[in-house]
Amino acid sequence: MIFRRYGMFTGGIELPDEKRPTIDRAIEVATRPQRLLVPLAPCGGAPATPTVATGDTVSPGQRIAIAKDQTGVDVFAPLAGQVAGIVTVTVPEWGGFVESPAIEFTDLSAPTDLAPSRGEDGGLPERGFNWKDASEDSLLARLAEGQLATHRVRPQPLMTWLSRARDQKCRWSIVNVMDQEPLVSSDHRLLSEFGPEIMEGLAIIARLVGSPNKIVAADHRRTSYYEACGAPAERFGVTQIALPHKYPIGADTILTKVITRRETPPGETPFAVGAAVLDAATCLAVYQWVVHRRHLLARVVTVAGPHTARPGNFWTPFGTPCADLAALTAGPGSGSAAGEPTLIHGGPMAGTVCDARAVVTPATNAVLSLEAARTPLPGPCLRCGWCTDHCPARLNVAALNDAFELSLVDRARLGGALACVECGVCSYICPARLPLTQRVKQLKRRIVALRRASEAPPAIGSDKP
Amino acid sequence: MTSDATSSSQDRTHTGATVAHVHDSPFIRAPEGARTVFLTTVLAVCGPLLGGIVMFGWRASMTAALAIASCVITERLYYRVTRIPALLGRSHSVLTGVLLALTLPAFVPWFVPVVAGAFAIIVGKAVFGGVGHFVWQPALVGRLAVAVLFPALLTVADARFEGRQPVLAQNRLLVGDVREAAYGNDTAPWRGRAAPNRKDAVLLTPPTRILRGLTDRKSPAYSALVQRPADQPDAKPAGLLQMPPMENLFYGARPGGLGETCILLLIVACLYLAYRDYLKWELPLSMFLAAWITVAVAPIYLAGPNDTVRTVWLPILSQEGLAAALTYVNYQTVSGGLALAITLVSVEMTSRPVTAGGQVLLGVGCGVLAMLLQLYTTIPIPCLMAVLAMNTLTPTIDRLWRPRVFGTKYFAFLRGK
Repeated sequence: MIFRRYGMFTGGIELPDEKRPTIDRAIEVATRPQRLLVPLAPCGGAPATPTVATGDTVSPGQRIAIAKDQTGVDVFAPLAGQVAGIVTVTVPEWGGFVESPAIEFTDLSAPTDLAPSRGEDGGLPERGFNWKDASEDSLLARLAEGQLATHRVRPQPLMTWLSRARDQKCRWSIVNVMDQEPLVSSDHRLLSEFGPEIMEGLAIIARLVGSPNKIVAADHRRTSYYEACGAPAERFGVTQIALPHKYPIGADTILTKVITRRETPPGETPFAVGAAVLDAATCLAVYQWVVHRRHLLARVVTVAGPHTARPGNFWTPFGTPCADLAALTAGPGSGSAAGEPTLIHGGPMAGTVCDARAVVTPATNAVLSLEAARTPLPGPCLRCGWCTDHCPARLNVAALNDAFELSLVDRARLGGALACVECGVCSYICPARLPLTQRVKQLKRRIVALRRASEAPPAIGSDKP
Repeated sequence: MTSDATSSSQDRTHTGATVAHVHDSPFIRAPEGARTVFLTTVLAVCGPLLGGIVMFGWRASMTAALAIASCVITERLYYRVTRIPALLGRSHSVLTGVLLALTLPAFVPWFVPVVAGAFAIIVGKAVFGGVGHFVWQPALVGRLAVAVLFPALLTVADARFEGRQPVLAQNRLLVGDVREAAYGNDTAPWRGRAAPNRKDAVLLTPPTRILRGLTDRKSPAYSALVQRPADQPDAKPAGLLQMPPMENLFYGARPGGLGETCILLLIVACLYLAYRDYLKWELPLSMFLAAWITVAVAPIYLAGPNDTVRTVWLPILSQEGLAAALTYVNYQTVSGGLALAITLVSVEMTSRPVTAGGQVLLGVGCGVLAMLLQLYTTIPIPCLMAVLAMNTLTPTIDRLWRPRVFGTKYFAFLRGK
């Protein structure tokens, strides 16, 4: 991988890496789960309508629910098993969890067939579909039939994502494999084991988006893992870029800025500057469906943390309860006098405390059991300015903290609070231990709510003209 | 999550109650906390303090100890009364005490540091709500209070030689008593100076007082910088010839506050703080440059023949050559309290702006004001007062100077979008 010098961003910070326990271990297939609670609204939005009834037996990949509208996707059974009923679980949303109905399965088969098919080397299923020669409409139709979802922090139906990317005429398709959070290595393992497949998936997406620039961005310290990507990248015209590891260069807007030198306006996504940012798992799922007509029914989840006896990356079927997943690899040290370890959904910088009913969805890249460290008591702001110095969005976080304490939402808006990328650097660095990231997130939420309230048309029958 | 009974002691508030904790991302934190910041800063400022103790003897350590103890005890007592949480913890009061000690001369009576410490904590810090909330640097508030309350005690060491203050002789360093002082020669080098007739210290004129003769418009004391004009038979002497050697000022062998004098140690402390990321280089540099340029531009007054006064604007371009002009400007910048104000006082976290641009604004204001006060007024601590005055503007600068936010145009906040 060629290390080309790219632009940089101001701010940021060096984080401890702590990936050593998992970075070299091949992705394993998780042991047979006791039960699966497959959420019907993995992307939020309206839950899908189940097509199976209690007591039915399903086979892997069988369609078990049909989406109501464009905001949801069809749901497929990850493993063979028996429907036990409808329950309520929680799925991750921005900074929290929302409830979603789910189909409970018991009597499950062993998850041996979860790992995706290899390209030419594995050779098991025939290459059924030649996407290069197919027309764009037939390719789109095939992708729409797949009912895929993006595997981002906030999943959305792939077709919704794709239509936005096509509307914006994105010139860059970027796969973000920076994998910057400490302890987490799921994207890194995916790229190092399924590199050629991910390159092909990116090429498919870039063709549909219509973007001439296909880019894979990875950490410059780990390029030696990705040597298998070289030939396919050349074949599909993918540019491989190794970037420095200053956190949070892996945030979408920052990555877009570094690669394209275009800054995303506050409150917008990189679509606004013509960049479509994806991740490795989505590319793999697209490759699986388009080429082999198989659904990717599992997500690579990093299970790690000081209390984990067997840290690693696991193919985990959607719907596995996070608590069960952590229990699979829990070590003898957990649950000791040191206190129950805290279960984290996502990485330690931007993740959330795992809800008790949370399940694995496309958004789950890691389930970490960390020390049950309590959030320290915040002190008064010293005005040291470290948050402002290290903010990748160049926000004056100290001023935003003042605005939060005084409830001055409009001042926060003028201060550019919407540009926050929620990376967590300000909270990490704050010597007064103020929850700055949470406060800026709350300000963002209130700014957006106020904007919606001012823009909303008056309700029918109201007194306003 | 909610509170539970097994919380460790650090989870208890000052009233002893456990509080509910919300687990928030990020779940890892940088190791440096507020207490570490303060204690590391104390470590840095202890260097100049030790330099002062060496240069001014055991009375300096007494003054410093009284200032620190006064700050710590006052803060404890005030906290016992008001229970303001931001006053909990002693690290910041120690820092305030050390900074205060740096500004006080060694020969003051015992009650001066005590009163200064009490003022610093109560007026400078506690009434604003404690750490992180004050507007004016507390140590400067304490210093200003005693400068107003006891003006004579802080400037006059010996009533017979008013205007002169003591410095230990080289053979009496650290153990000598600065109050046992005798008249000394201002222009003599510090190295090799022995104590006169069984005294410990020599009384020297503060160098700013010597330079004052160049900027006093009503009665200029000198006719030139270095070269006495030959064509004037009644010409007054050249100003810079009355100054001590420049190296005296760098070692710190001159009268002044405990930590004010030794510029070498001040620079080392400042560099250490910059290395620890506790200060940005922009503020000290802009303040120094602003002060230097102000001195280079601001007029000096020279005595001409027949009691006339010659006004020389831009002394850096004076007729006596660049070497003399540079010497003059450098003497002005190193002889007062400017070094302490630049390196340790103006960069104090709470009372300076947050952004680098705002710090440049503050630094320029501080530098210009400090030099104007030192050149043309007789207030006792011009550089520290300049910093104190500019601290008032810090909240305004913080609101006015906004860096460009990611993804917006320059000065977007002015356009209201």
